Amino acid sequence: MSKKLIALLETKKEKGEKLLSIFITAGFPDPDACVEIILILAEAGIDFLELGLPFSDPIADGPVIQSVSQQVLEQGFEIAQIFDIVQQVRKCSPIPILIMGYLNPLFHMGIPAFLKRTHSAGADGLIIPDWPPEESLNYLPLLQSLDLDLIHLIAPNTPRARIREIDALTTAFLYCVAYTGVTGRSNQMPADTRNFFCQLKKNVVKPLIIGFGVKNREEFINFSQYADGVIIGSAFLELIKRTDPGERKNAVEKFVQSVLSKR
Amino acid sequence: MSNCQNYNFPDQKGYFGEFGGQFVPEVLRPALTELEQAYTELKNSADFKEEFRNDLKFYAGRPTPLYFAENLTNHFQRAKIYLKREDLNHTGAHKINNTIGQILLAKKIGKRRIIAETGAGQHGVATATVAARSGLQCCIYMGAGDVKRQYLNVQRMKMLGAEVRTVHTGTKTLKDATNEALRDWLTNVKNTHYIIGSVVGPHPFPMIVRDFQKVIGEEVENQIQVLAGRLPDYLLACVGGGSNAIGLFYSMLKYKQIRMIGVEAAGCGIESKKHAATLSTGSPGVFHGMKSYLLQDENGQIKLAHSISAGLDYPGVGPEHSFLKDQTRVQYFSVSDKQAIAASFLLSRLEGIIPALESAHALAFLENLVPKTSDSEIVIVNLSGRGDKDMATFGRFFTEYR
Repeated sequence: MSKKLIALLETKKEKGEKLLSIFITAGFPDPDACVEIILILAEAGIDFLELGLPFSDPIADGPVIQSVSQQVLEQGFEIAQIFDIVQQVRKCSPIPILIMGYLNPLFHMGIPAFLKRTHSAGADGLIIPDWPPEESLNYLPLLQSLDLDLIHLIAPNTPRARIREIDALTTAFLYCVAYTGVTGRSNQMPADTRNFFCQLKKNVVKPLIIGFGVKNREEFINFSQYADGVIIGSAFLELIKRTDPGERKNAVEKFVQSVLSKR
Repeated sequence: MSNCQNYNFPDQKGYFGEFGGQFVPEVLRPALTELEQAYTELKNSADFKEEFRNDLKFYAGRPTPLYFAENLTNHFQRAKIYLKREDLNHTGAHKINNTIGQILLAKKIGKRRIIAETGAGQHGVATATVAARSGLQCCIYMGAGDVKRQYLNVQRMKMLGAEVRTVHTGTKTLKDATNEALRDWLTNVKNTHYIIGSVVGPHPFPMIVRDFQKVIGEEVENQIQVLAGRLPDYLLACVGGGSNAIGLFYSMLKYKQIRMIGVEAAGCGIESKKHAATLSTGSPGVFHGMKSYLLQDENGQIKLAHSISAGLDYPGVGPEHSFLKDQTRVQYFSVSDKQAIAASFLLSRLEGIIPALESAHALAFLENLVPKTSDSEIVIVNLSGRGDKDMATFGRFFTEYR
């Protein structure tokens, strides 16, 4: 397990602050700009980064992340590039980085090889939505020896007993998706989901981070009532898409500040 | 081959040897668990068995004939060739066997909405058909490329009251239609059942679809005994996802002496890299919820498949086929677009039967197989569907095959 991430979660808890994580697809908008944006995000005060591993068939993603993944793949993305990006960020920033993607590229490289490269590049862990806890059990010793977290996910329709099992197996924190669906949907929290979230914090031991469809300060506040922090993905990628490269630094800083309300 | 002696797959965890499993986001897990429980209960219930049997008989028109293709046999002058006429099912292909079973399951678990993916449109039509009959809302995902080349089936689905959603993402074929259907299911899992069209996807789908299709082989086993007084020597079927092939093979896996051959789509030829020969040229990976052979590049990205037949145009394959390949119980070969077209014309002109382009791949392999057989042997080909839907494609070759 990554001591860095756990220490961060503890410090935040002591201070009574909520975490903000941002998702960006590796290699977007291009490999160099991606590194720059991550460093701006780190400087602007996000707590950790989710670095998306582009995949040809991202079944859990909505239109925004799909189109960004496709764009990056069309630009000739290769798996090695995600490790390059992590390494370059590491030269300048200790910000915790979790690689988020689908299982097949890991499986194809060989899972142990992929985990070793993740570690040696300097990343802190992984989030792989189509890799269920049962299937990854065998890799726990290796993950541990490499100081890597493997974050598991739950959803509002996950049965309570199963939530307890997953809570026990996930490391660092538990990732809860805000609704049943794909990433980036507009997020009106229905009443039954609110009940689910109210109960959830009482039922889990690990810190709780909510993701999927969170867009702005208002939703950050809303969701972090029920959790230790929030992840923003599609809304951030859309911001990058519509911003001129010259304006990027300013726009990214403003976005992070607006969510954290450090204006 | 020892694993096929007491063949009892998938195991408790949904694996066929090292293939299969449930590689899905957590959101779908409750639905898969619910489905498996409902199916386990249902499959042993006498009421269900009778309802399924009756629907197959009176609605789908089973048993389908096993037809001795005398002219085709004379053409090749070796083994006797029989055709299992799945094309004579209601809606024109074997796909209806599965949808009849799954709609009963959907009703049992109380789902009001049905979704499905389709390539050639045969599964879409079969799904729209049973949904109409059951009064359930139905939405079919189909790649934009396939909507164009299988237009007749799009019209049929609409006629049956289904909504056809055209998929414009990725390669605009079966793979992307499946992605969109999975995304819909992730979103609407509470009220929606996904009738997957082949022996693919996460457990329990490959098992359920196989069990609903195994009637093909069970009928063949009896029919050939009546017609020829013995079991066949060869079984031939085309393989995209692989449901018609498993349906034919499954009940006869126990007869070691029967050689089974799955025929994949070689598209423009294996060397052209424009093909869908997943088992012949692919490698194991994780895709659409299952561990199985895939067409993938050196980065583990899923590759574009190509076949003139929309139903075979898929870069994955059912996990049970991956297992049967590695066990060497079934052999897998591939034939090209051109060979499939030639076989379609051959069957039409010799036997007066227009095959679906998918099924034509199995027929095309006769040219490789039959010359090596003797006239005392028996080959059974699964004629999985009829070719009406492919007339626009066949039409392009009329000058060539006058």
